[in-house]
Amino acid sequence: MKRVWIWLSVLAMVLASALAMAQAGKKITVVMIPKLVGIDYFNATQKGAEEAAKELGNVTLRYVGPTEASAAKQIELIENAIQAKVDVISVAANDPKALAPALQKARDAGIKVVTWDADADSRDVFCNQATFTGIGEALLDSMVDQIGKNGPAAIITSDLTAPNQNSWIAAMKAKIAKEYPNFKIVDTKAPGEDQQKAFQAAQDLMKAYPDLKGIFALSSVAFPGAADAVKQAGKSGKVAVVGLSTPKQMAPFVKDGTVRDVVLWNPIDLGYLSIYAARAAVDGTLKEGAKIKAGRLGEFTVTKDNISLQILLGKPFIFNKSNIDKFNF
Amino acid sequence: MSLKSRPRTLNIPWSELVLVLGLVIAVLYMNSLSPAFLSLSNFFEITRIVTEVGLMALGMTLVIITGGIDLSVGSVLGLSGITMGFLYTAGLNIWLAALLGVATGALCGWINGQLITRAGIPPLIVTLATLAIFRGLALGISQAHSFGNYPKAFLALGAGYLGPVPNQLFLLVLLALGVGVVLARSTFGRFVYAIGNNPTAARFSGVPVNRVLVWVYTLSGLLAGLAGVIFTARVSSARSDAGIGTELDAITAVVLGGASIAGGSGSVVGTLLGLLLVGVVRNGLTLAFIPAEQQAIIIGAILLVAVLLNQVIRLRLGRN
Repeated sequence: MKRVWIWLSVLAMVLASALAMAQAGKKITVVMIPKLVGIDYFNATQKGAEEAAKELGNVTLRYVGPTEASAAKQIELIENAIQAKVDVISVAANDPKALAPALQKARDAGIKVVTWDADADSRDVFCNQATFTGIGEALLDSMVDQIGKNGPAAIITSDLTAPNQNSWIAAMKAKIAKEYPNFKIVDTKAPGEDQQKAFQAAQDLMKAYPDLKGIFALSSVAFPGAADAVKQAGKSGKVAVVGLSTPKQMAPFVKDGTVRDVVLWNPIDLGYLSIYAARAAVDGTLKEGAKIKAGRLGEFTVTKDNISLQILLGKPFIFNKSNIDKFNF
Repeated sequence: MSLKSRPRTLNIPWSELVLVLGLVIAVLYMNSLSPAFLSLSNFFEITRIVTEVGLMALGMTLVIITGGIDLSVGSVLGLSGITMGFLYTAGLNIWLAALLGVATGALCGWINGQLITRAGIPPLIVTLATLAIFRGLALGISQAHSFGNYPKAFLALGAGYLGPVPNQLFLLVLLALGVGVVLARSTFGRFVYAIGNNPTAARFSGVPVNRVLVWVYTLSGLLAGLAGVIFTARVSSARSDAGIGTELDAITAVVLGGASIAGGSGSVVGTLLGLLLVGVVRNGLTLAFIPAEQQAIIIGAILLVAVLLNQVIRLRLGRN
């Protein structure tokens, strides 16, 4: 009689562990919804996501998005995904507030919600591509590396009220105060989101400060505008231009030597990380302070934020002559 | 043709029969594509998502029967939502703000009607212009912000359920009944068909053409305004880009429903069937994870096939 009990308990243990393993490794379906489909940036995130899904082998990836950046279309996709009873909804939100009720509904139905690129107010984890401090410091490091610790440099931002730009500038200034006290920022111009005006601003700066060595161009239109002004003034290599923009747009300036570094993040890696985060969310390994493995990108620490959990992709990615041709966005 | 008999009574059941058949085929096919398709909750989800376009399509049915078109309804949806959101954020009572949002829609429609009847500009051009103007106003008022933080009771309009039935479905059914009865049974409805069949003849038979047209466009605007309020409640924020392109979805439903773009024919039942067909196909394809680009092609093809079938049937019947 005793024997039977022992065998039964062994059997129960085997069954229990098999069940747990089945949960952790079970095949899951991830619906990934970009802001819109058909543009190079989100094609790049799709490429990374497909790579990760293939590596994991137990993730079925469905990459579907609206043809225009519309929150309403994303809500429709989310609501359909709830009906389809998928395991994870992964979304780059067109509107953090508008998507929240639909995402909450998904979570109430037991679906894990991952956000990436653009956050929403309800989710299990956000894959953050870059912090303001990270971007600001990367910009400054690149500039100091090119023109030295004393500057002088000027800033071309978008508008003086632009929140992202102001956070980057604050991060740059904090690092200057701490590490490069002699680095001079002589002027800040705010031509708005206008390439032609940014071009003009760069010309004015070079005239007003003949000894200017560097220009920070902090928007995706200010960067090519400023680079073009420097190039046309024949000052390529004499005035360094550092900024944020997409590699395809900046490639000509990188190739002719006007620009050395383009600071951004790598959207392929962002898509890749989001799939590993989705897997971890289902497996239940996503907890504050936990480390999750993400294939070729290595290990990431999960942190807590004011909504739920967050994973940071890492330091910004620098596009330069050696890699810029590999990126088609 | 006398005014009392409903024009082309014979054709309408035919086109609706084709639609019902199409709907059955679509349901069977979508069921084979995705196991999640055939369920009551999914069916109600479809009706929830199509309600806003459905409201606009009701107004559009009248407009198209008169031989006109209203391209501005998508922009009216956006402007009404923004007006409501703006007023609520400024401190107005939510229900009063919603009422004024709907009234804004009606005013937009009234302006369309006045321009069409008094200035004599074709509806296509008037509403193409107001499509741009109303959207511009919405963008201007919102200053690229979205208005949110509505009370729960209001959000229930777009996100609440009575049992398994989404609240806004009651509204759609009620209004469809209302518009359907007016169109099929009232003098006003007969006037609408008469104008579409032959505006000159209608005028000489004593139909107050201009007055009827202004009412039709005002109603179209009002329903689009209501759609704007429902949309805001469903997504819980009013955005100036809400409803972009939805005028085409509404026109698709009406034309699928057997209405002739030349005027004179069309029915509320047909429009609802057309609406449901597009909703079912889009939902099924999405559940099967067919990308949006391919969905657009499939829905376009269905529209062409349906209109062609109607054409063939109409010709056959005409010959007999």
